[in-house]
Amino acid sequence: MAMTAATAEPVSADRPARKMADKTLWLLAPGVIWMVLFLVVPILMMVYVSFWTQTTFAITPTLTIKSWVTFFSSDTYLSALWTTIRIWLIVLAATLIIGYPAALFVGLFVRNKTLQTVLLVLCVIPFWTSFLIRVLAWRPMLGKEGAINLILQGVGLINKPIEVLLFSELSVIIGMTQIYCVFMVGPIAFMMGRIDQSVIEAAQDLGAGFWRIFRTIILPLSMPGVVVGAIFVSVMVLGEFATSAALSGRKVNLLGNIIVTQVGSLKWAFAAVAGVVLTILMGIVVAALLRVVDLRKEL
Amino acid sequence: MQASGTKLALGIYTTLFLVFLYGPMVVLAILSFQTGPEGGPQFPIIEWSTYWYKHLFGLTPPTRIAPLPIEEALVRSLLLAVMTMIVSTVLGVTSAQAFRKKFTGSGFAFYLIVLGMMVPGVLVGLGMALVANALGVDRHWWGTTFVLHVVYTYPFAFLVMLAILNRFDQNVEEASWSLGVSPVKTFRKVTFPLIFPGVLSAMLFAFTLSYDEFSRTLFASGRDLTLPLAIYGTFSVEVHPNVFAFGVLTTLFSFALLGTYAALMMLSIRRARRVAIQEEA
Repeated sequence: MAMTAATAEPVSADRPARKMADKTLWLLAPGVIWMVLFLVVPILMMVYVSFWTQTTFAITPTLTIKSWVTFFSSDTYLSALWTTIRIWLIVLAATLIIGYPAALFVGLFVRNKTLQTVLLVLCVIPFWTSFLIRVLAWRPMLGKEGAINLILQGVGLINKPIEVLLFSELSVIIGMTQIYCVFMVGPIAFMMGRIDQSVIEAAQDLGAGFWRIFRTIILPLSMPGVVVGAIFVSVMVLGEFATSAALSGRKVNLLGNIIVTQVGSLKWAFAAVAGVVLTILMGIVVAALLRVVDLRKEL
Repeated sequence: MQASGTKLALGIYTTLFLVFLYGPMVVLAILSFQTGPEGGPQFPIIEWSTYWYKHLFGLTPPTRIAPLPIEEALVRSLLLAVMTMIVSTVLGVTSAQAFRKKFTGSGFAFYLIVLGMMVPGVLVGLGMALVANALGVDRHWWGTTFVLHVVYTYPFAFLVMLAILNRFDQNVEEASWSLGVSPVKTFRKVTFPLIFPGVLSAMLFAFTLSYDEFSRTLFASGRDLTLPLAIYGTFSVEVHPNVFAFGVLTTLFSFALLGTYAALMMLSIRRARRVAIQEEA
């Protein structure tokens, strides 16, 4: 390599650049390969298996749409799909309605940074306990001899216990709302915290009342938080099956529960169909939510 | 905001909201001190006792209520969480390092990684079970379940590290390189201490998420149960306060982890401050 000092300059500037690209590749490869093998391949496999032939105890890789036809002509599956959508919509609305005022308080009204952090940490702490234990904790709350019935009877509001509280659709909705509420509060409180206080003060100086300020300033500026929260809650509620298994007494069957029972009875092709339907449903929901607010522009 | 009436109302509301969040857990904790074996999982407390805690550890005379099968499950869950924590933290740190340079396809890689935390466990779990069936591979907690746990926790580690590295001044590293310090030593002496808080957070996330992970585990593990699966098994039968006692203990364990994390974090911040003061002097 005969090279003068003058020509050596550009070469050595070029080499680190390529070395850098190589380095990026090597750093990135393990993670990306892991995700392709253990995330993308399983999902594709699910789509593929949904077209396999299901016999009583086994599946054979002969392609057919029989499982799909069975799914969409069965009342059980269709009602599970409908129940999933209904519970998702109710829980989404409930988390938003219950969570928004709390987020408004924490994000906008609490000006003390320490108190704000303490309140947010208090909201997050329940996540450090097991998900299943949190679900199970609703049983002694909602049961016929549960805490809520005892309190209501003690106060004298009711004479006999409300039985519909546990092992019903209502108990599933209450449980899910409590568990997923925080995913709504967090993003909204974050967006509230970013609202410029002087904008609100200016509106106040100009004589705007609270509702006017809320409608024209706070609500629009907090929308990206609502959308992010809604995406979190939607994806988690749509993929649920444990809460309904624990709190509905097998009365509420979500698509997730269908998948679990089908896998339990080795009906893999049916489970795969339900899985694909769930994936499509989730894709539509997330895409629709992203339509509401352009997150890239807002965040 | 200076609307004091609204502020008061919202403050009261937020307090009620916190009661809503914590109420069930508090009730569960109280009921775990129900007397046994005749006391059921409901009020009133017949007599305060630690019977169900003893029952959990097999310290009570045998009754018709079988003890929870948690002993081996606990060991499995802890091992699985440690394995997941190590692998996902390493993957998270390396991938986030890669993202410090702009490169083509970075958007695609980013979404691919983040997808791992968004896709519900039912779907990946089912997919993994199908792949394992097709390949004729047995499903085990240390195999199929482990890789899925990493799929779930690695995005968290990645995002935490990305946030840390974004705030990180690259000139410090370049200064070290230009002074002739080897890249390995630079990473050990300069980069690592700076990203340590992020690594610690990534480890905490990965460990606790894996320790509690349930839906992926349900489909992808074979006969050997992990802790969440053992709890899920009790859903279908009559619930006794021993499950509540277990819930209290596992919650305390998680808090201990959180406390350790907070202490380590505090130490690291204090050390960073001391170094800063030394440099100024």
